[in-house]
Amino acid sequence: MKRLSLFLALCAPLAAADPVEADYYKTTTFDTPKETALEVGSIDLMPDGKLALGTRRGEIWVVSGAGSSDPSNVSYKLFASGLHEVLGIAYNPKDKNLYATTRYEITRLKDVDGDGRADVFENVNDSWGVSGDYHEYAIGSRFDKAGDLWVTLCLTGSFSSQVPFRGWALRIKPDGTMVPTCSGIRSPGGIGFDADGEVYYCDNQGPWHGACTLQHLVPGTFQGHPGGNVWYDLAPNMGPRPIDPIPEAFQGERGRKDSRPGGDPDRMVMERGRIKQLIPPAVYLVHGKIGNSASAIICDLSDGKFGPFAKQLFIADQSHSNLSRVYLETVNGIKQGVVFPFRSGFASGIIGGRMDEEGRVFVGGSDRGWGARGGKPFCFEKCEWTGKTPFEVHEMHAKPDGFEVTFTQPVDPASASDLKNYSMREFTYAYREQYGGDEIDEIIPKITAVKVAEDGKSARLTISPLTKGHVHELHLDGVKSAEGLPLLHKVGYYTLNEIP
Amino acid sequence: MIRSLFVLIVATAAARAVDPAAFTIKTMTAQMKYDTTELLVQPGQPVKILFENGDDLPHNLVFCQPGTDTAAMAMKQMEKPEEALKRNWLPDDPRIWAHSKMLNPHEKEELNFTAPEKAGTYPYVCTFPGHALTMRGEMKVAPAGDILHNLKFALYLGNWKRLPDFSKLKPHREGKVEDNLVQVKLDDYKNEFGVVFTGKLIAPKKGSYRFFLASDDGARILIDGQEIVNDDGIHPASNIREKGLPLEKGEHEFRLEYFQAAGHIELYAAWKGADFQITPLSKWLHPNWKGGAKKKQEFDPIPLIVKDEPVIYRNFIQGAGNRGIGIGYPGGINIAWSAESMNLALVWRGAFIDASRHWNSRGGGHQPPLGYDVIQPTGEVTPAFFVTDKPDAAWPKWEKGIRYEGFAWKGYSLDAKRFPTFRYTWHDAEVEETFTTEGDGNKPDGSPTIIRTVKVTGTMPEHAWFRIGIGSYEAKDGAFVLKGPKPFRIKAAGAQIAGQNLVIPAKAGTMTITYQWAQ
Repeated sequence: MKRLSLFLALCAPLAAADPVEADYYKTTTFDTPKETALEVGSIDLMPDGKLALGTRRGEIWVVSGAGSSDPSNVSYKLFASGLHEVLGIAYNPKDKNLYATTRYEITRLKDVDGDGRADVFENVNDSWGVSGDYHEYAIGSRFDKAGDLWVTLCLTGSFSSQVPFRGWALRIKPDGTMVPTCSGIRSPGGIGFDADGEVYYCDNQGPWHGACTLQHLVPGTFQGHPGGNVWYDLAPNMGPRPIDPIPEAFQGERGRKDSRPGGDPDRMVMERGRIKQLIPPAVYLVHGKIGNSASAIICDLSDGKFGPFAKQLFIADQSHSNLSRVYLETVNGIKQGVVFPFRSGFASGIIGGRMDEEGRVFVGGSDRGWGARGGKPFCFEKCEWTGKTPFEVHEMHAKPDGFEVTFTQPVDPASASDLKNYSMREFTYAYREQYGGDEIDEIIPKITAVKVAEDGKSARLTISPLTKGHVHELHLDGVKSAEGLPLLHKVGYYTLNEIP
Repeated sequence: MIRSLFVLIVATAAARAVDPAAFTIKTMTAQMKYDTTELLVQPGQPVKILFENGDDLPHNLVFCQPGTDTAAMAMKQMEKPEEALKRNWLPDDPRIWAHSKMLNPHEKEELNFTAPEKAGTYPYVCTFPGHALTMRGEMKVAPAGDILHNLKFALYLGNWKRLPDFSKLKPHREGKVEDNLVQVKLDDYKNEFGVVFTGKLIAPKKGSYRFFLASDDGARILIDGQEIVNDDGIHPASNIREKGLPLEKGEHEFRLEYFQAAGHIELYAAWKGADFQITPLSKWLHPNWKGGAKKKQEFDPIPLIVKDEPVIYRNFIQGAGNRGIGIGYPGGINIAWSAESMNLALVWRGAFIDASRHWNSRGGGHQPPLGYDVIQPTGEVTPAFFVTDKPDAAWPKWEKGIRYEGFAWKGYSLDAKRFPTFRYTWHDAEVEETFTTEGDGNKPDGSPTIIRTVKVTGTMPEHAWFRIGIGSYEAKDGAFVLKGPKPFRIKAAGAQIAGQNLVIPAKAGTMTITYQWAQ
């Protein structure tokens, strides 16, 4: 008994410390093959727990044993090499082949002689242009529910589209035909699906993007950057070319003095009224706070094996070497939602990512060209739930007069009912041609009421005003769980495209 | 970091006492290049060069007077090859002022000489037959400039992320810098300090000068109170900032401000004038300090080594357009296929390709082959197939962004030896192309040969031609020989010269074309 109390005494200072991400989600960094720099650009699942990794150096590695609890069980087999940058890898269960999205082509790779190395490289589709500019990345998807592959094509540089379909999302049908699907893409970093199979991609801060964004790829829409719209005549299925957004914008208060009936035309919310094909970003991945270089989109379909966030999206970031968490909802037919910090501290810039059925998230990437917080030039890692449920905001729902936030664990009603423990700030970004932009048009609304549900699992905030088109930054600094723990992440950023 | 390839080596003696300049020049394996293509020395400076031939061919190192057309000089000796052979391929030319022996593979030699007194650019070259076009470099002879005078320092303590306004701070310590070279003493404060250096700079004449600065963490240079180069913020010293400005003859106020937050301490400054080479003003010399050519980023090479099976490299290959597929075959024979023109774009021998351009940083640009004797048999990214009733006509020209009509790329398959067969369609015909090799591309007398087999099934359009070469070919001994400094031979049944085109009437069936680097 004496010994036990001594033990408790020693542990006490530790137990008192605030919880950290690693308490709930642990990461494992795998050793990678010595003969290469495994700059992971894309990941997909293969049968028997294997993974396919496509790399920036044009290799495809088949990985076994990455799901094992012992990372030394991992083994690698070089399936193919010499491809032009594999930023999309997709396993097709129908024909059992891998499909690689490379710089200028989607390639079907077959291993006819069964020796574990590809020997047939078939062009599935190469109907987009490449001008030789380094920036013309092609980011490919897995197979969607219709059996199509999607490819998002970076512009030539940041502003223009010098060869066909730069700045577009294309769909490649199972027969290899191509369907121009969305315009307005700037610099995609990753493409993925939500739990319903809807398709999203991440765009990067730059012209027409004050921050990185999560964008919903609804066929026929214009995603915001007009640089690629010169190719509408090659895409009759897309209808007429959208009118161009206004390139100039007022930043900050400079334009406020002028009377601008109807508001600033250079805000996304205003241009949506003018440009009928324009779809707003589903979520602004707030620059410098959530990340600077959004990449992979990973949906949790593990049904609880990755913790309490079933069906939510996890967005990777190359620059911040982290994962953020997105909850989406549909309001007035438009996707919108909230992003929270989730897990930082990956070893390099994350580019590719995929979750398996067991709720293991595999990620990998490299810091090449842009730098990353992780510090390693490249990495392949795993992120797993420890089984301990973090105290987090679970979901955030827009309401006509405020928001409802739900929690992963019951809250302490006293702290959660105290208005002082919440604060909100609203801002937006100018929708303009110039690179990046500040958080502008700041509004500090009043939180007039908070009501905690009887089960302690949600709180209803009444807020005035809500501002259509603004990011609503909610801080819940003082809210404690019933067990007295603070929130693991105390801030979320909700993009309010529509007020319900 | 090792940066041995293609670098300009600066004689580190610059503004100090004139020590001998020591260099090592190596030959690159199977690339027909020296690893060092620029040397910088001062007039009259003693020079020591260790010349190492790591290649499998003989090479020498021959220094000539400024303005010498070294390729023409090396070529001229082929007029009397027997005599040239007796002289071991060293041209009998008065413009040669220093040279090594003709080194056999894996030999080395030390050369000692005094650099010319006259400033200028002195070319050096290998005069072994066929090497001079690519195997060459330059020795730049230029005097060093002056260093600073009356250099003083003021040390400040503080934790900054950017350079502070030092004028508002009180120095912790001040003093004189005895050797007048900007320097940070590593045995002093290690973190959270700043230093302001002030001194006199004497411009030898009215003219334009350039200043260079690299620092870890931030620094800036001011001349006469005006900021010239700014390298502020927290960062490594890998980027050299530089800026030019006109100066009047005489004395100028020099001020360099530096701060260190934490981690590495590095500080490099230099200047350059019209009459003197880049001259360090700091005690330390930047590891990649190289005259005026700093804008080009250089990386450690990543040569792709071909062993017992072909190596494939799909990327931007110079001369093969934007859908190039490089194939390095065993035995020092390489091709680049274009999945845009559906044609053989390049052939070369020796080493395959260096991937470092594409596998470093953002990977921009087109990479030339790493080997030598690069030949573009039929123009840049142009199809072989073409319909014309005049086979001497001009074939279509490549315009990036416009795809050739009638062609569709199908991909490739690898056989048991992992040799690729390329597949495409042209109108109603299906085409398969396979390349095999004979001989040794790494040896000068290896008679390296590429055998191209083109299998056409289906229907060819009428008046269809298959072009296998362009340029001035002459028929000789059942083959077609390209006139020029590098003999190149094409052989194909049914081939004919039509103006600048070497063509075969295109029909269903099989065509066999051999390409050979002749002696």
